[in-house]
Amino acid sequence: MIEYKNVSTIYDDDFVALDNISLEIKDGEFVSIVGPAGAGKSTLLRLLTRELTPDKGNVVVDGVDLAGISGNAIPLLRRKIGTVFQDFKLLTSKNSFENVAFALEVCGANLRQVNEDVPKVLSIVGLTEKTNSFPHQMSGGEKQRLAIARALIHRPRIMLADEPTGNLDLVNSYDVLRLLMKINELGTTVIMVTHNRDLVNAVGRRVISMEKGKITRDQMQGKYVI
Amino acid sequence: MWREKFQRVLNAGWNNFRRNSYVSIGTTGVMTLVLLVFLGLVAVNFLASTIVVSLEEKVDVSAYFKSDATEDEILKVQSDLRGLAVVKSVEYVSQDEALADFKERHAGDALIQESLAELDDNPLQASLNIKARQAGQYGAIVEFLEGNALRTFIDKINYYENEKVISRIHSISGAIQNWGFLATLVLAAIAVLVTFNTIRLTIYSQKQEIEIMRLVGGSNWHIRAPYLVEGALYGSFAALIALVVFYPLVFVAAPKMETLMPGLAMGSYFIGHLPAFTLLIWGAGIVLGIVSSIVAIRKFLHI
Repeated sequence: MIEYKNVSTIYDDDFVALDNISLEIKDGEFVSIVGPAGAGKSTLLRLLTRELTPDKGNVVVDGVDLAGISGNAIPLLRRKIGTVFQDFKLLTSKNSFENVAFALEVCGANLRQVNEDVPKVLSIVGLTEKTNSFPHQMSGGEKQRLAIARALIHRPRIMLADEPTGNLDLVNSYDVLRLLMKINELGTTVIMVTHNRDLVNAVGRRVISMEKGKITRDQMQGKYVI
Repeated sequence: MWREKFQRVLNAGWNNFRRNSYVSIGTTGVMTLVLLVFLGLVAVNFLASTIVVSLEEKVDVSAYFKSDATEDEILKVQSDLRGLAVVKSVEYVSQDEALADFKERHAGDALIQESLAELDDNPLQASLNIKARQAGQYGAIVEFLEGNALRTFIDKINYYENEKVISRIHSISGAIQNWGFLATLVLAAIAVLVTFNTIRLTIYSQKQEIEIMRLVGGSNWHIRAPYLVEGALYGSFAALIALVVFYPLVFVAAPKMETLMPGLAMGSYFIGHLPAFTLLIWGAGIVLGIVSSIVAIRKFLHI
């Protein structure tokens, strides 16, 4: 369970990114967050990974107030949360296997664990044949699937997707969406920030609309409306 | 498991060092200079302290007694002086011993020998030659003598002749130590700044990797440790180069220094202390490197 309780976030230049937001997301939900640029969608996600702390209010994950966790506990929180971005954030000097393995290694996994888990995750996202390919040898869709594989490697309970299809064509966008829905069906909470109207409408699940740091609409089986 | 993690961190640190080879060479060079100056300072300190010790051994205070002072009175003053904590030794030279010594020193000078034979009385005075434990303590000894109950029997105290030499030795050795220490501090600060900037460059060039490490939940230790290893590597290589440059210089300089100052034994001093100096310089290099890394990490690596 994720809870935002009266959360406000104000950036250094006095820009109010979130204005007294209250929100609950239950385990296993698939939530699309929509809204114009500057509405506060990405800030909402960055609070969950403790990249930011709210200026007012509390962000609570599984009963734990994130403002209270220590610096050493932040990596443990982030291992519970997989993150996917519009620009993929892949290491260009590493091949597919190494990109995913890197995420395991920096968390202290041993070689045996890496060799067992990485091929499994690459198979889930359909990239077994691209195991030795470098990002520049892959299509946009494949890169995003690789980013999802990396996010999945810790078996996260929450998956955050910040504009995951922003750089993809329609076919690849639907591929990525299907993959996210499959991950959701396996029990992972998925929170997707997107501008893609067709994608949101195709999901037919909960849609939260935001504008100027406030929630303007929250529908359980919603459509893309601003 | 821990060995594997440690190995991974060491490899990452070594890769950082290797990939920025030109910057690494520059940083190691600056740190080498600092360590060389530090070693030079150790050498100068060694020279200064050897000179000071040998000069201090030659300095003493002599109290010359009037001819009417009895031996008992002189011995009383000697005994009083021995009671002082600052006094290392007090040697009594009687009038007869002073004369014998004088004659011996001028044995080849017929004119002096004849002049002495002409005299009815011994013209030389009995004296107490006093050595202090430290050069700065002569003033206290003179004060004691000036205030002694038997002061009236003392004709003169020659401290005032030696005072300038003693204080000059002190000011020179003090200045060498202070300025050398200051120079080492300034150079160490420069080395920290240069290394700090190098680590900052590495952190900047690996911005993307660091961001990914953060978002996938890489442990703080795993993200930071390679930069500490990188800093330690700069220090280690600098220490190695500094020792490789310094010791041959000592071998070349030592015989020449020993010609100038017999008994200096500079070569054997540095050879004898090779393990200690290796540890000291290596430790100083590693500390400099790691401190620089910590400063850069705290400032630029936000997790």
